[in-house]
Amino acid sequence: MGAGLSDAHQRPYRRRRAHVVCSSGGATVTRKEYIARQRAEHGRKAVAVLPIHYPKELLTALDLLAVELWGPPGPPRGDAAGRLQTYVCALARNALAFLAAGGADAVDGVLFPHTCDSIQGLATLATDFGGWRKRAFTFLHPRGASRPSARAFLEAEMRSLAGGLEELAGRSLEPPRLTAALRLHAEIDAARAGLLDARPRLAMTDPELYALLRRGEWLWPEDHLAELRAARAAVKDRSVVQGVPVLVSGYVPEPIATLEVLNRAGAFVAADDYAAVGRRVVRAPLPGARAPEDPWALLLDRYWAAPPCPSRSADQGARVRHLEALAERSGPRGVLLHVLKFCEPELFDLPAIRKAFAGRGLPVLVIEGELEAELSAQAVTRIEAFVEMLSTGRAA
Amino acid sequence: MILRRARYEAAGRVVGPLLASLDAWRRRSRSRSRARAPRTSPFGPPLESVRKLKELMSVHYFQGRYAEGAVPVAWVTSGFPVEILRPLGFHAVYPENHAAICGVQRLVPALSDAAEAEGYSRDLCSYARTDLGSVITGRTPVGRLPRPDLLACCTNICQTVLYWYRALAERFRVPLVLVDTPYVYGEARPHHVRYVKDQLEELVQVAERVAGRRAEPEALVEVTRIAKEGSDLWAECLAQGMHRPAPWTAIDGFFHMAPIVSLRGTEACNAYYRLLRDELKERVRRGIGGLRDERHRLLWDNLPIWFAVRQLSTLLAERGFNFVCASYTNAWAEAGSRIDPSDPIGSAAAAYTHVILNQDLPNRLGILRRLARDYGVDGAILHSDRSCKPYSIGQIDLKDRLVSELGVRVLLLEADHSDPRAYATEQGENRLAAFMEGFA
Amino acid sequence: MSAVVAIGVDVGSTTCKAVAIDADGRILAHLVEPTDPRIEPQVERLVAGVRGEAGDLPLGATGYGRKRVEAGRVLTEITCHARGAFARTGRPGVVVDMGGQDTKVIRVGPGGEVVDFAMNDKCAAGTGRFLEVILGRLRVPLADVADVARRAARAVTVSSTCTVFAESEVISLVASGAPTEGIVKGLHLALASRVAALARGAVTAGAEVFMSGGVALNAAMASALQDALGHPVRVLPEPQLIGALGAALAVLPRAA
Repeated sequence: MGAGLSDAHQRPYRRRRAHVVCSSGGATVTRKEYIARQRAEHGRKAVAVLPIHYPKELLTALDLLAVELWGPPGPPRGDAAGRLQTYVCALARNALAFLAAGGADAVDGVLFPHTCDSIQGLATLATDFGGWRKRAFTFLHPRGASRPSARAFLEAEMRSLAGGLEELAGRSLEPPRLTAALRLHAEIDAARAGLLDARPRLAMTDPELYALLRRGEWLWPEDHLAELRAARAAVKDRSVVQGVPVLVSGYVPEPIATLEVLNRAGAFVAADDYAAVGRRVVRAPLPGARAPEDPWALLLDRYWAAPPCPSRSADQGARVRHLEALAERSGPRGVLLHVLKFCEPELFDLPAIRKAFAGRGLPVLVIEGELEAELSAQAVTRIEAFVEMLSTGRAA
Repeated sequence: MILRRARYEAAGRVVGPLLASLDAWRRRSRSRSRARAPRTSPFGPPLESVRKLKELMSVHYFQGRYAEGAVPVAWVTSGFPVEILRPLGFHAVYPENHAAICGVQRLVPALSDAAEAEGYSRDLCSYARTDLGSVITGRTPVGRLPRPDLLACCTNICQTVLYWYRALAERFRVPLVLVDTPYVYGEARPHHVRYVKDQLEELVQVAERVAGRRAEPEALVEVTRIAKEGSDLWAECLAQGMHRPAPWTAIDGFFHMAPIVSLRGTEACNAYYRLLRDELKERVRRGIGGLRDERHRLLWDNLPIWFAVRQLSTLLAERGFNFVCASYTNAWAEAGSRIDPSDPIGSAAAAYTHVILNQDLPNRLGILRRLARDYGVDGAILHSDRSCKPYSIGQIDLKDRLVSELGVRVLLLEADHSDPRAYATEQGENRLAAFMEGFA
Repeated sequence: MSAVVAIGVDVGSTTCKAVAIDADGRILAHLVEPTDPRIEPQVERLVAGVRGEAGDLPLGATGYGRKRVEAGRVLTEITCHARGAFARTGRPGVVVDMGGQDTKVIRVGPGGEVVDFAMNDKCAAGTGRFLEVILGRLRVPLADVADVARRAARAVTVSSTCTVFAESEVISLVASGAPTEGIVKGLHLALASRVAALARGAVTAGAEVFMSGGVALNAAMASALQDALGHPVRVLPEPQLIGALGAALAVLPRAA
């Protein structure tokens, strides 16, 4: 009631059969159908992947479809819903419930990156105490700066993961395929960066743009690249987006209504630092057109070159500076921090981020989501009030 | 600088102990002079050693007041291999221990308010909020905490300490040395342990730079030996709880744990545990229990509820329930088994990677099972600590398995280790009462 | 004799308010009712009620149910309370709006614009509902609350941070003989301390603090907030109408 939000971009996970399990738009093809088709038509197996950071290139090189699991949104359903306390973030709670209820049965394995304490616990809970019986992989990415110890460890860990994935895929990882995968993902990153950086000239609403970008969480990379390239047609040669520019940082754009309300209130996302989106866009270009001698070295370099993320960095200052640089480039009037309730890595950085932007006279709004199916009226009011505040001074 | 160093040493060796004894003497004469109505306490006679414990910890904090500018100061996480820093002369401050003191004294809400006013969410770990609040306001119940020259963080207890110490590093603008311990799913792979070892070697260089001196290998061997001995002594103390009646309670254990955490690797720590061990053995010999009338034996899982620890243990003791073991105190006894003075760095890498919180749930269940069997418990309380995800995640499943596999009665108690605002006293005590009634 | 030129409605979750203002922003007529779930007919009736003889007028809407109203301008309560407060004071400051289910702290700038704002979290313990629920249990009518609190010799601490748990805590307190007046005073202190925590960042040394919203009609609340903040708090005249006033001002012909 009252909110009048269209639910075209939002299908709450209400029914027993998960229909759309993230706000990647369109109800025409479900992820389950897509996974089935990939298997039937291309012989590709699928691996569900928990957030956030993982070497997707390895999966691509082994012809494995990565299907990311960001939730799903909505309240956790099924018997396993109560196995995690209510003070654990919705991502972990929903994921456990989803896995245990058979929501991921279409895939052949699950990969758990060591993102935080909650996902760390989720991995052992699901695989050791019930919830996921098929293959499980872990990826313990190092934390902190690129020390020699961390570089050596990351390589060993990636090779170890590759070994496990090879078994699942039933093939070995050939260096030329890894090189090709690196190239493909670098092109995808460039295409994503292209759309994000051209935002003011992009004739799309934020929900449309994010739906497109988030389909990359489960599409076969080549399919995703094709969609990104097609979207280039929407980039005009002059500014077309009206409204107040806002810098958004946070975990995942869920519910997508958050951005819909932002748009309707008269603002748009001028710069993105979502863990699910902007923080995974590597902007370092690949060295030259010739195949690099050592694709592994390149794979490692790209890991370290990604934008700072509190789930793996030990340098808060670097994160703040990155956000400030984003703001310099995109000229926002305000900053929206769309965090997930109970998410420690994000929450610990809030005061430093607030302080940095206060110093620049940029108001900050924190919206604490819970991967809810629908945005609360209170959250809607906050976003609208924020945009009203940022709009003062412009012509009514 | 020399003057400050002299003052620091005097504080630790002379003035501190003197003040501590004076304070203890004052307390004793106060209690003697007070006309007391005889009270029937459900507990056995208090441990004599506790006086020495108070002195030891008071001296440590007292000395800390004079540490700044006198010796290099490190703020250290409880699971950090502090043996690496000791030979370099660091004064080690344990913000977690300090926060526990604040928890007991009910200072957390006020300190947390200060942190929350800066934008820290109340959903964050209460130890971190307490520490940040103390840093922001300068308020502390221990007189004065010396500013760090180095922050030493090991993620073997949780990832939160990294976010916390990272924020401290921004605030204090000092180096942060990180020991990132990969979580052990099943078995630790060779490259995981090698990573930890490599990090230890890297951090020595940073620590040496901050301390302004080189680490002597013999000194490290010696400290490692002392740390291992300390851990073994602590294990001996805990093992006394296997006797019937147990000569002390696990709640006492939470307080007596302070030296093995904050003074690990020092002779003072080991001397204290020898004293405590001997007293406990004597009590066992004479049949003196932690409770007057021990009728039921319980296991405690997770951190204690610092602000209600006395209240809760009394409530249970009054009905004859004693905590004879705890997974939390046990953690410091286990660590020692892998420490090897002949290979300080390599063994530290293995030891600190395998602490309870850095290993998967089957391992945790194994520990709880073993404790339950060795200590002959008939019930367990799993503290569902809102502030501690790594410890609390999986408890619901652990509870089910303890009940079905061991036939023990288990209560899951929702609270927080140091923020009383997260604990509904009435509801909690109601659950405890119902739990106890089930033991008829 | 001034004429009505604009109307503002504030469709709150607890009460629905309508005001009719003249060209100088003076409230000429107002109506307050508990909010009916059928908002549209209620709003129509209230608008007709304050409009009097005047014909169709510009309508501004705010509050929880604002989007259900066919209004010329729809704005959030934050913006409207800021405008309404500024119209009353002519000065910048901090507005603490305590409503039935919501508490907001709004920093108002020198031109009446919103500089910053904060809202209480999803929980009711920092809102009027907290008082309503527990006073109901104590059977103290809302009209008598200020007097009852004033009579208390000292406040009885209510420590639960949750409304539901506080309710059972209060029942125990009553059972153990704690005086009702002391409990009522303690409840106000508990609520005030939560609101103060929300407001602390905004209330700087020289800032003026104003109160608006229905709960501001309770004198005990204003004084408890003053104590908790350690800062003078001024209750705006007709505090419950501030939001509707702001909404009406937003549609004043040739409004700034």
